Amino acid sequence: MPPPYHDDQEGVLSKGDQTRRMTLKSKTLIIGIGNADRQDDGVGWHILKNIAEKIGFEVPDDPGAPIEIEDERVDLMYTLQIFPELAETISHYQRICFVDAHTADIPDEICWTELQPEYERSPLTHHMSPKTVLSISATIYGIIPETILVSIRGFSFQFQRELSPRTASLTQEATERIWEWVNAPLT
Amino acid sequence: MVAKKITIEPVTRIEGHAKVTIHMNDNGSVDHAYFHVNEFRGFEKFCEGRMVFEMPSITPRICGICPVSHHLAAAKAGDKVMGVEPPRTAFLLRELMHMGQIIQSHGMHFFELAGPDLILGFDHDPVTRNVVGLIGADPELTVRAVELRAYGQDIIYQVGGRRIHPNFAVPGGVNRALTAEKREHMLSGLDKAIETTQIGIQLIKNWVDANIEDVEKFAAFHTGYFGLVTPENGLELYDGDIRLVDRDGLELEHFSAQNYLDIIAERVLDWSYLKFPYYKKMGWPDGVYRVGPLGRLNTCDKIDTPLAHQEWMTYRKINDGKPVFQTLYYHYARLIETLFAAERVRELLDDPDLMGNDILNRKHDFKGEGVGVIEAPRGTLLHHYWAKPNGQLERVNLIVSTGHNNWAMSEAVDSVAKTYVKGPEVQEGMLNRVEAAIRAYDPCLSCSTHAIGQMPINLEVLDSKGDLIQTLKRG
Repeated sequence: MPPPYHDDQEGVLSKGDQTRRMTLKSKTLIIGIGNADRQDDGVGWHILKNIAEKIGFEVPDDPGAPIEIEDERVDLMYTLQIFPELAETISHYQRICFVDAHTADIPDEICWTELQPEYERSPLTHHMSPKTVLSISATIYGIIPETILVSIRGFSFQFQRELSPRTASLTQEATERIWEWVNAPLT
Repeated sequence: MVAKKITIEPVTRIEGHAKVTIHMNDNGSVDHAYFHVNEFRGFEKFCEGRMVFEMPSITPRICGICPVSHHLAAAKAGDKVMGVEPPRTAFLLRELMHMGQIIQSHGMHFFELAGPDLILGFDHDPVTRNVVGLIGADPELTVRAVELRAYGQDIIYQVGGRRIHPNFAVPGGVNRALTAEKREHMLSGLDKAIETTQIGIQLIKNWVDANIEDVEKFAAFHTGYFGLVTPENGLELYDGDIRLVDRDGLELEHFSAQNYLDIIAERVLDWSYLKFPYYKKMGWPDGVYRVGPLGRLNTCDKIDTPLAHQEWMTYRKINDGKPVFQTLYYHYARLIETLFAAERVRELLDDPDLMGNDILNRKHDFKGEGVGVIEAPRGTLLHHYWAKPNGQLERVNLIVSTGHNNWAMSEAVDSVAKTYVKGPEVQEGMLNRVEAAIRAYDPCLSCSTHAIGQMPINLEVLDSKGDLIQTLKRG
């Protein structure tokens, strides 16, 4: 079962941050993670493009350009990496979908994971995980959006923007499954 | 006799690979330890054939952690190749963006990565030894810490107009002037950023006082120190000459970055793919040096902003005016630099030239070769380009901050392992101290890809035959 949305957690700012609850967006935020200039690492950005096109918007072929769409169901965001203040952003949404690449360490070609807040420590670097940022949102803002992580197998990580054929073939299926989830009622 | 080998593999990315191996004796003590880096150098080859004006847009894609540093170093190298001096407004705007990068990176490192070790303790339960655990210890500070990082990142956005992949600086200047509204926005968050940094400074000073015995023995060793300085040897993060001082703080060299190849050489060792830079005249290994916050505060003779200078005076008393060589003081130095960066933001925002519209010099005097240098958060970053007359690059050499500190990080691992790791069962807190030795240097290990499934920590204890005895894993 996916984690239900919570806005009644004991957060640092307040219990369930009343102001935040009043401005809460009922739609879904889809966050594509990865480096679009490193081939399959940027599959999250490609899926954002697919979703934008699905609802009639075109995304420039420049990962640095903001993805500007207006839709009552979704907002789209692309980032190279996850950072602490992303917790503030996600705390405004009832539902979050992270999209990232994975490598051979995970056997499934499309991996669908329902996330619970959990601080995953990065031993040496500035890297943060989706669970970690969810954990910060829960702890500071008292809000836990219903969250999934969809990761797609990457096969090649060269310096280019075009996906490898195998990863490209997975993106359509992943896009459809994400879109279906976006349109399903909140758990 | 080396009877066991412990391997920590903290980062296994597509292009970068780093691990720690600890070789133990039969009596449970550490014989020696290494920090190995396999750094992918293909990016330089990838850049060959590109146009010099493209480099500020291409090089930030090396790394998602310090893209601004690469962006600005590339633009500065482009200035030199093209023989063009940016207008003062452009110079100030670039520096302002860089101060944002220093604040966000240093702020995140101290409060989110290193802080939990210090505030909660190296032996604290790893489940809660993190920023969330920190919230329990100091909720208000934790919220402030998140805001500090966000403030630095917001400066980058306000100046550069993009959250990622900046296309702001170009050879000869920048392509966007600052609006009054953005200036006011940046000013509005500054006081709180300074306050938060000062809270952090007090926190680290209190921690040092309470843990002075550990601080004195934790990876404490002598090296030279290397960093940019102002013409009067003040702390400099954006531009200036490079100063190299010895273990006693005496100046060895004061040189233009354009001449770095005359001053430093790189050593290749068979246990690491990352080269080891050193000072040529002193030879290897006597000529090893450190960069980054500790290196910079040991290299300068002053800081030109009042609050940071006052704090630096206290810092320099640690070893009676001699360089501070104890690795854990990197954290203190990092926060002093954060304070400097925040104060420098105010100076830049108050400078009337910042709001000018003369932002790009189009008059070139093509030189064909040039070095761009900047103090990235983790140390001196050099971009060296050779171009054809049409601006197409024939050769690229990048010396990144983590490379300069390669010897020091390995020495720190060896020192800490010998001091704290005891067998036969290696405890998590021991492992965490070894990691903390590396973490103090805030290395960047080829971080441009972040695919899931590649971030475990493995600690393997092997006997002298290579058989696995013990494994600790987290990540």
